[in-house]
Amino acid sequence: MELETLLYILVSGLVLGGLYALMAIGLSVVWTTIGVFNFAHGTFVALGAYIAWQVSSSLGGAPGFLLGAVVAPVALFMIGYALHYALVKPFERNPNIVLLSVITTLAAASIIESMIQLIWGPREKQIEAPVNGNLEFAGLSFSAQDILTFVVTLFILAALAWFLKRSRTGRAMRAAAQNREAAQLMGFNVTHLYALTIGIAAATAAIAGLFIGSIRFINPTFGVDPLMKSLIVVIFGGVAHFTSPILAAFIVGLIEAFSVYFFGLYWAPSILFGLMIIVLLIKPEGLFGFQRKTL
Amino acid sequence: MTESLLEIRHLSGGYPPVQVFRNVNLSLFPGESVGLFGPNGHGKTSLMKTLAGLIDPWDGDILFGGKRLNLPGKMKTRLSQHLNYDIFRRRRIDPASVVREGLIYVMQGNLLFPEMTVDEVLAIAPSAAGGRPGIQQMQKQIHALFPRLKERRNSKIRFLSGGERQMVSIAAGLLAMPRLLILDEPTLGLSPKMRLELGAAIQAIRETGLPLLIIDQNVEFLCSLIDRLYLFDHGTITRELDSNHMPDHEQIMSLMFESHA
Repeated sequence: MELETLLYILVSGLVLGGLYALMAIGLSVVWTTIGVFNFAHGTFVALGAYIAWQVSSSLGGAPGFLLGAVVAPVALFMIGYALHYALVKPFERNPNIVLLSVITTLAAASIIESMIQLIWGPREKQIEAPVNGNLEFAGLSFSAQDILTFVVTLFILAALAWFLKRSRTGRAMRAAAQNREAAQLMGFNVTHLYALTIGIAAATAAIAGLFIGSIRFINPTFGVDPLMKSLIVVIFGGVAHFTSPILAAFIVGLIEAFSVYFFGLYWAPSILFGLMIIVLLIKPEGLFGFQRKTL
Repeated sequence: MTESLLEIRHLSGGYPPVQVFRNVNLSLFPGESVGLFGPNGHGKTSLMKTLAGLIDPWDGDILFGGKRLNLPGKMKTRLSQHLNYDIFRRRRIDPASVVREGLIYVMQGNLLFPEMTVDEVLAIAPSAAGGRPGIQQMQKQIHALFPRLKERRNSKIRFLSGGERQMVSIAAGLLAMPRLLILDEPTLGLSPKMRLELGAAIQAIRETGLPLLIIDQNVEFLCSLIDRLYLFDHGTITRELDSNHMPDHEQIMSLMFESHA
């Protein structure tokens, strides 16, 4: 194999990994904060992509994409916030909350999926990319859209990390995640903080949807694949640290890129799931995990 | 007689369907430090959690500074045990508004937030309570009270000893600018040296005139910190003793046993 090919695979793996990180971080933040596994996360990605498509196609070009990048996350933030009150909060004091929320989030996923089908129809759509052409760099040429995706993804992840670590609300969210009762005794409105968490997760999912929608086709069931990928990432990396799913996402992205090249597109999922089973067998808490669940 | 700061009337509660305490009457006046003593597992902490708003009271009134903190009337039982969807049920007391009123409960054996540093915890503590005036002065006071915390400001709570953790809890409680501070077994499981250090700090807090409600298992220690003592047994208050009749360990045991007979 030539060095050039290797570099191309590496870059496409990193771009893919960035997108997976963006999808998985929402899932892992919700899991570590509320203790709920959000099966609707994949449909958040799909819904975000459709809303972005709707907005951007009416305006077109780069301004349309930009408008979509604003409207979709904001809309999904509000939807996520509201869904916490409908899906999770009613079971707050139920000992079976984990199981019940699996069912309610699955239900929400299928309702949202059907709604997408009703509103936008089953035809495949694609969001118009904001930048075209290639960037030449040291004799190699990379798709400008890929580079944009990668840079924006890294920026959003860094912003999220800053928010959780440094901002007042982010710290409060971490406090509520680590000890619900103590956070309540300090006077935090924990329900609001939890809803905020789902809202932020949904907003990041929308951004992921926007970028995936601009490199692939979107259809109403398109949320399934992102959910699977984030699931693999979260299991792969564990959720002990904010960075563990991010690192895992890049590893998964690279593995996928390399297995697509060496074994073909159809073998990539099998290889990923095979690796996931191996990780589950030898290190069930994830590659970068500990046996604790915090932010 | 001055108006009481905290007035609990005929309060009952617990974890449905198990009732933990019933018909509790207690009052606390401004500037006063009151103790609550009773055996383990008889509902003291459940009572305090109810005051703090973590558990819904079943019946009775909680009045703080003349304001009612809970919804009036009896708690209704839910329509069906099989109805899980709780969205329409109102909480009977809201912990956030209890804190905003200035009633601060420092939980027993509080683990706080294991992955946050001391500084982070102390930074978020005032904001939640709505940032009453006097925070900066309180911060200075806390540094004087607990010099240890300044040394350990960048350690995660998880790496602190039990006593240091208790200090962070109390400091966080003070930063909420309380009008009444409830300390639930502040010296539980601490070394004698740490107990002395913490006792001195609580005494210093008491001398600032901040009303305190203290629960502790060590009678001598408790009596050195309070003006009045309530005895709590089998889920209700059985006796009230003033400062002239502070019991020692022997006396309190006989008092507790008498109330059984």
